[in-house]
Amino acid sequence: MALQVLSPMPGRVAPLAEVPDPMFAEAMLGPGLAIDPPRGPVVAVAPISGTIASLFPHAMGIEADGGYSILVHLGLETVKLNGEGFTLLKAKGDTVVAGEPVIEWNPAEIEAGGLPVITPLIAIQAEASAITQLVADGTEVAAGTPVFEVA
Amino acid sequence: MAEITVTLPPGVGLHARPAALFVGAAAKSSCDVTIGRPGEPGVNAKSILGVMGLGAKAGEEMVVVAEGDGADDLLASLKVILETPEAGHA
Repeated sequence: MALQVLSPMPGRVAPLAEVPDPMFAEAMLGPGLAIDPPRGPVVAVAPISGTIASLFPHAMGIEADGGYSILVHLGLETVKLNGEGFTLLKAKGDTVVAGEPVIEWNPAEIEAGGLPVITPLIAIQAEASAITQLVADGTEVAAGTPVFEVA
Repeated sequence: MAEITVTLPPGVGLHARPAALFVGAAAKSSCDVTIGRPGEPGVNAKSILGVMGLGAKAGEEMVVVAEGDGADDLLASLKVILETPEAGHA
């Protein structure tokens, strides 16, 4: 059964090729898309239901029961901030329901600090053919809007 | 079974990019490979989510275990990947 993946935030849907980081643009971690968030306080929600298998202030990896894993990476090179500007609302190992708040951040502040805020949403180690995009590139979506399916 | 211990170089630890490079190399091998902290059960080194989930930081020791054909060669190349600071960072 296809797994629906929700946008973790409001924003504009963009292709991964638009992400200025080859690791994401070349889908080294897996296929997906990117969300360009509004510049202001944002709550990043879980894109799928599952277990938080990996959690950093700037990134979450959630594993669904079916075996698929989705990574949300808030901005680029944001690992360098050592968590500054991010607030975790959950812990690694927690079970979450799709749409549940996980990380608070403010893209305006991160961008003012010189880092890109475009946020890759990745089906980790999935085949490119396994995902079906549900909304066109350039569409403005709300947090919780289904943006792609992985099967 | 072959095993190495590697100290992660200065930088940001085993986050997305190093994890992707490490897992990419491990996944090309037919060996069973795990990575973890000394004395703890390792995670599957072919799982990006598993490796990132370790949250391993710069300066930490990591134990990599491989079993199968070419395990020694594989560990040698994984050691190089783990010990190489990220270009443009560190």
